Amino acid sequence: MNENILKTADAGLEKSIERLFDFLRIPSISTDQAYAHECEKAARWLVTELTALGFDADVRPTPGRPMVVAHYTPKSATEKTPHVLFYGHYDVQPVDPAELWNTKPFEPTRKTDKDGVERMYGRGTADDKGQLMTFVEAARAWINATGSLPVTATFLIEGEEESGSPSLIPFLKAHAKELACDAAFVCDSNMWDAKTPAITTRLRGLVHEEITVTGPRIDLHSGMYGGAAMNPIRILTKVIAGLHDKNGKVTIPGFYDGVSPLPAATKKQWAALKFSDKKFLNEVGLSIPAGETGKSVLEQVWARPTAEVNGIWGGYTGAGTKTVLPSKAHAKLTFRLVGRQNPEKIVKTFQKFVKGLIPKDCKVEFSGHGGGAPASEISEDNIFIRKSAAALQAEFNRQPVLMGSGGSIPIVRNFKDILGMDSVLVGFGLNDDAIHSPNEKYNLSSFHKGIRSWVRIMGALAE
Amino acid sequence: MKAAEPVLKHIDDGLKASLDRLLELLRFPSVGTDPAYDADCSNAAGWLKEKLEGLGFETGIHETTGQPVVIGKYAAPGLPSHAPHVLFYGHYDVQPADPVALWDSPPFEPEIRRGKDGQDRIFGRGASDDKGQFMTFIEACRAWLAVHAVLPFRLTVLIEGDEEGDTSHLERFVAENREALAADVAFICDTNMWNDATPAIKTFLRGCIGDEVVVTGPRIDLHSGYYGGPARNPIKVLSRILAEIHDRNGKITIPGFYDGVKPISPQTRKDWAKLKFSHKRFLGDVGLGIPAGEKDFSALEQIWARPTAEVNGILGGYTATGSKTVLPSKAMAKFTFRLVGGQNPKKVRAAFRKFVRERVPADCKVKFEAAGGDSAGVTVASDTRYVAAARQALLDEWQVTPAMTGSGGSIPIVECFKKHLKIESLLVGFARETDSVHSPNEKYDVECFHKGMRSWARIIAELS
Repeated sequence: MNENILKTADAGLEKSIERLFDFLRIPSISTDQAYAHECEKAARWLVTELTALGFDADVRPTPGRPMVVAHYTPKSATEKTPHVLFYGHYDVQPVDPAELWNTKPFEPTRKTDKDGVERMYGRGTADDKGQLMTFVEAARAWINATGSLPVTATFLIEGEEESGSPSLIPFLKAHAKELACDAAFVCDSNMWDAKTPAITTRLRGLVHEEITVTGPRIDLHSGMYGGAAMNPIRILTKVIAGLHDKNGKVTIPGFYDGVSPLPAATKKQWAALKFSDKKFLNEVGLSIPAGETGKSVLEQVWARPTAEVNGIWGGYTGAGTKTVLPSKAHAKLTFRLVGRQNPEKIVKTFQKFVKGLIPKDCKVEFSGHGGGAPASEISEDNIFIRKSAAALQAEFNRQPVLMGSGGSIPIVRNFKDILGMDSVLVGFGLNDDAIHSPNEKYNLSSFHKGIRSWVRIMGALAE
Repeated sequence: MKAAEPVLKHIDDGLKASLDRLLELLRFPSVGTDPAYDADCSNAAGWLKEKLEGLGFETGIHETTGQPVVIGKYAAPGLPSHAPHVLFYGHYDVQPADPVALWDSPPFEPEIRRGKDGQDRIFGRGASDDKGQFMTFIEACRAWLAVHAVLPFRLTVLIEGDEEGDTSHLERFVAENREALAADVAFICDTNMWNDATPAIKTFLRGCIGDEVVVTGPRIDLHSGYYGGPARNPIKVLSRILAEIHDRNGKITIPGFYDGVKPISPQTRKDWAKLKFSHKRFLGDVGLGIPAGEKDFSALEQIWARPTAEVNGILGGYTATGSKTVLPSKAMAKFTFRLVGGQNPKKVRAAFRKFVRERVPADCKVKFEAAGGDSAGVTVASDTRYVAAARQALLDEWQVTPAMTGSGGSIPIVECFKKHLKIESLLVGFARETDSVHSPNEKYDVECFHKGMRSWARIIAELS
């Protein structure tokens, strides 16, 4: 049975790519209000595609970007037929700095690079349009080859993943009955390497914070006031510099509450992966691990929390010079969380820490973006994980790695807390996909083998 | 002061026409540092040429390596050869207008609005810095010529367009045109009054050097989840450097930074203490309260006689609406250092760069770019006949003894004139601290403009 469906998937690959490219051409940036209508367009595009496949699909408005919900129940379904949810997100990151792209971010380009590898370039190719389309196209292969899906499926595609998912929790709560399934499959993660598939079982949480320090009430002439007037950039950089000690440890009091040391067994398993710290950093032009001294790079990324500055701005930043002493300085921060770290508590302790560093005649304001999510870990004995692992092994001829991820996928936590279901994180992204960066790409083989993997996983679930 | 009286009347009667001319000049968005405004700078220069020619000055526009310079020469027919030769200096370039959103009226559509206190104010970029200021002198000359037909001295008017940007352009021009610019003294109108009622003559001037620092960590922007922890964040590197520049007492920690800085003389400290400068008011006006400079010095000393390290701008990563979980490749900061007499700009720059380099991790890169021209701090001689004439004239006009002050802002031209033309400068200006120069809603009080013109007429009379 599987072979026939896989052949259908193979034969339809070119058409699958064309559809993906249509989808990629929609600049569905969720964080910027200016692209709100593009997000709606992307949602409608998905509904049209899924309806054509026989799904009962529609666009569900939220206070932010809409959700896409689609249901499929096989005619032959019985009480024993598993009901699984597939999750992806149609929104993408902003493209800036736009001038660093070699191709236009929203004009997807397929290219065989000098290394002979065929890649698709464009914003969203890997995060997450290319990924979510692997299970959409797998469903198409099943339906085209057999007339039906082997399982009852619910597709939930959201449009705010890149902006903290503010509408997600209320939406899940309001539609808990409709969306609760036996398990969720989330396609938004990476393979271990180009040849080795992976299932991610450990995810860092995330909480955003933005701070604005105000010194003088207006921008001042740096000559007439420089020396006597406090510069808010000076304060802000002092705050940022004070976040870490010399050993890369975060200095905010109470920050590590709820963080447990890595179990010896996990440490051993990860050590066996022969992860090269050097290669990982060299690929991005670095060489010295910047995290906590004494922790391996894998541990730093998968099992340790961070305080990261995502952006900083203040004063004059245009061409030429302006001898200004600015009124305000801003920074955007994110904290990656592990274990039982509590996002709300982290924000509170951070704010207290900052306030302690602000001179009496200056002000600080905080404006978080919400979407705080604690870390989550999934049991490796879960039946869906085991079935998926077997299917991936069949497709790649390699044991999938059960790994952690430094990135946050709050949805996993929400599915567990609100809908009571575990999530299986299977994705086909690669570390060099440049997601969130200029020249984002998705390898053609990721897309193709991704579709084939889902064909197998869907089949395995029905057995 | 018989010669002054009819000129003062002429100024009073012609105030409206003088204001109209100033508003015309303010409409040119002559932002010297941004190439997008090059044509506007040329147009401003052209307008000035026409106006100076109208006064009978032999005027030309001279190309430089930066924005054009306007030079108008007045030969003073019939004057004895020992009559003084004055070089008057101003600048037609203005600061960028951003953040434009914070202006109450468009920055380059100047308007005069009456405040609740009854004061008429000219709002617009350049109203105070420096178009409004230098026009006080030009308009005084216009009135003097209308009444007396001849000025009592030879005069060269030099209006440049790179004051807010790279001052090395003008310095090169001055160095290459020493003969054409030869004079006995320079008059400069680009400074503040001591307070709303008291004029000032500036003798302590801070210099300025600028440097832009770009730190590169990863070669591309990274996902802060996948790389956060092991990958070095250039914003953190840059922040750490910035945080280390000042110690707890506001002192700059860059080794060698204070080399050549002389202590403030007891006499000057005494004079300045007499000015009854209120740091509470000075800082309170701008929403602050605690002097942020070196603890051992008064706020006045901090701005007039002590050097600074200031960050004018910082930028890195995602700064638009919403959030982006990026670990950026680059972070940039723009610095200026205010220097006082005795500090060597080149040495300060080198010391700063060394300080930065020592703090950049081995796998990160740092790039520097010098910005603006270097200028050293200067202390002007306060015992010349020109200073004496100005003191008398300002006393007559304002009915209060002018203050001998310092200036925190750099006027590199003073050092340039001293170095290349071997002349001292007389610094008299009528700007007020509330003028918001370099900020949104820059303004110049009509009273300052009016009494400024009258003050120059009196100074001209003192010199006849």
